[in-house]
Amino acid sequence: MSDKSSRRQFMDRSLRIVGLAGIGGAAAVLTKRAASNTVFQVDPSKCVACDLCRTSCVLAHSAVRAVNDFPKCGYCQLCPAYYDVTSQPDEMGLPTGKVCPRDALKRQVVGKIDEEDPNNNYYEYTIDESLCDGCGKCVKACKPPAGNGALRLEIRYSQCFECDSCAIQPVCPEDAVVRVATPGLSPAAEHAESQESS
Amino acid sequence: MELTGRARASQSPPAALLGAFSSFVAAALNPQEELRAERKPDPVLVQIEAVPSRSAVSIPTRFELEYSEVTGSGGLSSARPFRRSLLGIAAGDRDSIFALGDGEVRIFSPGGRPEGSWKAPDQSACLTVSADGTVFFGSPGRVHIYSRDGNRLGEFAAGESGRPAEITAVKICGKEILAADAAARIIRRYDREGKQLGAIGAHGKIRSFMLPNRFLDMDVDAGGVIRAADPGRHRVTAWNLKGEPLGQFGKFGLRNPEDFVGCCNPVNLAVTPDGKIVTAEKVAARVKVYAAGGPLLAVIGPEHFDPRCTHLHLAVDAKGRILVADPMRLEIKVFSAKPVQGGGELA
Repeated sequence: MSDKSSRRQFMDRSLRIVGLAGIGGAAAVLTKRAASNTVFQVDPSKCVACDLCRTSCVLAHSAVRAVNDFPKCGYCQLCPAYYDVTSQPDEMGLPTGKVCPRDALKRQVVGKIDEEDPNNNYYEYTIDESLCDGCGKCVKACKPPAGNGALRLEIRYSQCFECDSCAIQPVCPEDAVVRVATPGLSPAAEHAESQESS
Repeated sequence: MELTGRARASQSPPAALLGAFSSFVAAALNPQEELRAERKPDPVLVQIEAVPSRSAVSIPTRFELEYSEVTGSGGLSSARPFRRSLLGIAAGDRDSIFALGDGEVRIFSPGGRPEGSWKAPDQSACLTVSADGTVFFGSPGRVHIYSRDGNRLGEFAAGESGRPAEITAVKICGKEILAADAAARIIRRYDREGKQLGAIGAHGKIRSFMLPNRFLDMDVDAGGVIRAADPGRHRVTAWNLKGEPLGQFGKFGLRNPEDFVGCCNPVNLAVTPDGKIVTAEKVAARVKVYAAGGPLLAVIGPEHFDPRCTHLHLAVDAKGRILVADPMRLEIKVFSAKPVQGGGELA
């Protein structure tokens, strides 16, 4: 009687353990599958451009880049993210210093050009991704009220190891590096990557 | 001169500007500091020496301003403070103050006593009041006309089909209604029935106003001259109703208080009854008063306004008092000038 009882108990326990292991395994598989459909990205609404993206990435040249969201950009003659507005002005009255320490933010006049009065021209600002290291100085300078908030930081997946781990995420003081569903690249990123590949 | 309250800390304009810019940068670096730095002005009547030194910069006159709060949590008035939004301000008939915010229009006596309120048209973004008390609102693609008591008198569409006007300012010029369209970057002229009569802002190489911050503000002086801010060019411009440019002043600069700082300033603009031009800037949130030709007369320093402001809505009443609506602090402040002994004329 006791033998039968203990055998039954043994079978019960074994089935329970197998069942729990199965549920656990399924959960692990689902979690991994869910994780494989997500990537780390910078949430611009939280990002304070603290420079940790540049210093904390495992890559020597951080995988984070500044990106200009052109529809939000004002195409200003005097972009506070491009010019160090506290520097001495030149003969045209424009500041001589630049915000980007690596000269990665490029400025060029676009549209119909008025040679006589530069105030009548629009200027496009693009990022040279081979120079940008994601320090975020331009992003910080572009934040309202000084700018329109058109510049933001973005993780470049083409640079990442895609190891499903991000060294920046745990150190970000604003929890701005978050998991997002695997996206297509943003238009700005696609533009930059196509230029890089060509 | 004895100064009281926060005005005691008044600095020379360049120092104040650099100080404001530095504090803005510091606040951007450390948001906690920003929060600590957000101290409201003392709710006391203060006197401000707006331009303390003639030797620092070549400014021909000196100003003294009296300041009071109409609304705000610590205001002098018993007025109910705005809770969610403060989108516009206008001087009404009998020098009453009309403020648009929280989805309604609130009317105050010149001294700040509440006189009434009524529901504003949906999505209203700006307002103005004509001499007879008619109230005009601008909303996306529409101009609304109401009586002083809030009765709807009419409305019309503004802009083109498929491209509605993004109205950021509406003013009256004689029998015409002017609507500043930040999407098309022009000022549209309408009659009271809503027929478009023309547009202002494009002339020669000046194809339109440059508005990196998508905000166009303007006002009309007693002579019918339209003054408009052109923030991307750092200019104040003057136009007649035909759309012909009459003049301009202003340039970018950080050290001279006459200049406009940042990417795009001045943002807001109003004209006093005697033709002085009042401008408001962002970054170093400040209000400045210019003579009609451009010389700077006074700076109302950044200490009165929230440094995060991207706009400071302006209006001037018939007595020349400057009404400033701070959309971040949700406060209305009134500044009035009086001559200083030995300080020269105000004009």
